[in-house]
Amino acid sequence: MHSLYEIETTVKRSSRAKGLSWGLSEEAGKAVRLLEQSEFQGLESFKRLIDLGLSGLNKLLDINQSDTSNLCPIHFGIFFLDQSHNEDIHRNHNFKNLNEPLLILPFLSKSAKNNLLYFHFYSSNLNFTISPGDIYFFDQNIFPEYISDFSISITTQRKSIYSQSTWDYLYKLSLETFVEETEEKKISGAGAGLTDND
Amino acid sequence: MHIELRKPEIVMKLDRLGSFHQSKLSFLRSFIREFKSWDFKTKEFFLNDQGFGHIVYEVNKGQKKYSLICFSNHIENSERSDRVIATKWDASFVLFDGVPAKADIERLKANVPLQEQGRVSEKELCLSRANKSVRVFEHVVDKLSQGEQPDTKLLYDVGYLYRTTAVYGSGKFGLADRIKVQDREELKGPFRLEMMLVYLARQFTFDVVNHVAHFRSPEKAVRLSEDIARNLGIGNSTGLGMAPFIVNHPALLNQWIIAKEKALKLIRSISSVNQNDKNTFQLYLTTIQENIKFWKTESEYQKNKNRQLLKDLDSFQRFFSTTSLDKFFWNTIYKWTEANTQAECCEFIVSLMMEVYPDIVEPLSYEMSINEDEYFDIDTSRTIDEICKLIENQYTWLLNINFDNKENVFNFWYYSKNKQEPRMSDRFTEEGSDLELPLAIARDISALYNDLKSCKLDKDLGYYLLKNQEYRHVLRRVLICEQLPYSEIQDNTISKTLIPVDMLRLKLSFFGATRFDPRSDRWVRITMYQGAPLMKEISKSDDTWSYKKIA
Repeated sequence: MHSLYEIETTVKRSSRAKGLSWGLSEEAGKAVRLLEQSEFQGLESFKRLIDLGLSGLNKLLDINQSDTSNLCPIHFGIFFLDQSHNEDIHRNHNFKNLNEPLLILPFLSKSAKNNLLYFHFYSSNLNFTISPGDIYFFDQNIFPEYISDFSISITTQRKSIYSQSTWDYLYKLSLETFVEETEEKKISGAGAGLTDND
Repeated sequence: MHIELRKPEIVMKLDRLGSFHQSKLSFLRSFIREFKSWDFKTKEFFLNDQGFGHIVYEVNKGQKKYSLICFSNHIENSERSDRVIATKWDASFVLFDGVPAKADIERLKANVPLQEQGRVSEKELCLSRANKSVRVFEHVVDKLSQGEQPDTKLLYDVGYLYRTTAVYGSGKFGLADRIKVQDREELKGPFRLEMMLVYLARQFTFDVVNHVAHFRSPEKAVRLSEDIARNLGIGNSTGLGMAPFIVNHPALLNQWIIAKEKALKLIRSISSVNQNDKNTFQLYLTTIQENIKFWKTESEYQKNKNRQLLKDLDSFQRFFSTTSLDKFFWNTIYKWTEANTQAECCEFIVSLMMEVYPDIVEPLSYEMSINEDEYFDIDTSRTIDEICKLIENQYTWLLNINFDNKENVFNFWYYSKNKQEPRMSDRFTEEGSDLELPLAIARDISALYNDLKSCKLDKDLGYYLLKNQEYRHVLRRVLICEQLPYSEIQDNTISKTLIPVDMLRLKLSFFGATRFDPRSDRWVRITMYQGAPLMKEISKSDDTWSYKKIA
């Protein structure tokens, strides 16, 4: 097995060798390192991307660009990493197709954390959400090598994804850490002024 | 009186950084302070009569254990080389996380002596190799086997029995990634594992000479005197491979420098200094002036620096002796030194001042690491105008460099395919500049600045990066430098006048190296742990060993 250091530097250098700038190569190295650390097949995906030929792939440079076919995942990921602070793009976008979608995950993940965003990714064969939280679950086998007619919805709104009964149960449980107050305690325990009108 | 930190534009010049000396903040000294309460022992000793085989040393505290496995192999004289292209060494070392099983030692025996050509695993933490100083090794073994102690003049002229030629860590060649160990309390200081390896390797060098001398003449042989052994360190031969590290790790460099600068500021801010403190300083100054006589070098560059140091120390001594203990005594001393001596002497005095105040300086050694990933991302909401202003303020020194002048872009750094190490060459006569490493920081920030200036200044970096990714690597650095002002060397690292050995000296001084002996402007020999306590007496170390008199 190779160390994460080796993976990062190897991907960085390979990216540079394939024509990416040093700055982008550094980003690619970190991205694949993170995927491998999370036990996603980042290196395999990156290798297939290299085999496709980085220079022949379409770069996402404008959210409104007309041709969104055959997109490069590194430029796609960098686009959202660099542009997601801009509220103009916090909406739904449709794209034609993207190679090796696995490789966009580290970029979207960072962007979600940095900007407190949610990326909801929809396509016929791949759906996932990236949130600012640290917990994700992906089955790497669900990641196809190629996807078509997909969309991403970006929002700052967190969805409620639990039931009311669950909430009620946990809230009741949380009350058990509170101390029951007597009438005296309500006065002495407050400590500060007894009125809010001072 | 409010004393400021020294400004980056003074400290971060390469001629000053290349004049740094070891100090209380040096990593090999903080290693000994951290590990002096641990148990050090020889766990396995399997050398044949000629001293070939393996030794295992163990360092433990409760359940925490580290082991250094040392392999000693026979090589022909013609195969002995300090160059990184060498494929055989007298000794090779690997630091193991825990206690190695027999199968681990067998696996490592097949790989560690091969170094870069072998393969280690995430159970291993550091990897290194060393060659004998043949004339010293033979002399010592010869004398000991005759029942005599070796000639200390010869020994102290060289300073060591073996010389390491590389120490690898942090994921290289399959070693464990830093992330595996970074949260361990005992490893909070920088390069702790590398320092552990080198410290134990020094013990190995003593054990080998004693063993070989004994088997050469079992009846007559004596052991190397502990006083002599203590005054021997372990050598190191370092080339350009080390130089890019300090450029590639700006956040880490900032932590090292700012720890030193904070220490100096705190000492200069002491309002009342007593006679005891002054006497302690004088004691160290007197001792170290004696020890400087053992700094041997053939390098005219270093000879001049050493000569100037001795000359400056003479004037310094006169000033120091006649200056009374008025308020802010150390500030007076420092200001005089900065104004009246060269950087070599000034930084020497700064290191010496730190010796007097362990309570101020030693805690700072825990601030010398950093999570570099936290500084990797670019805040693309910043405006182009803000970045231009940052460059104008932080990189003033490079704005007037003319990069159309060949002298200013003379060199390029590259990664050597056959040597697997960073190197530097003349851009105009040698091939390969199309594969230049991103170490031309001054040139690239200058280009970034000019590029930004031609854009709409109120736009943000996201806008700029849509079509300009060429300077992303230095844009990142500008933002790091905004937060960490000592992260950038303020000199042009590709100019014809660059002295790369200054970059090596900077890093090696933080390691704790002494006796800088540049063999050219691109590689240097140094000594580590000279004067340090032996393995069996480490618990008694009081951290004053760097200033004990040699011989």
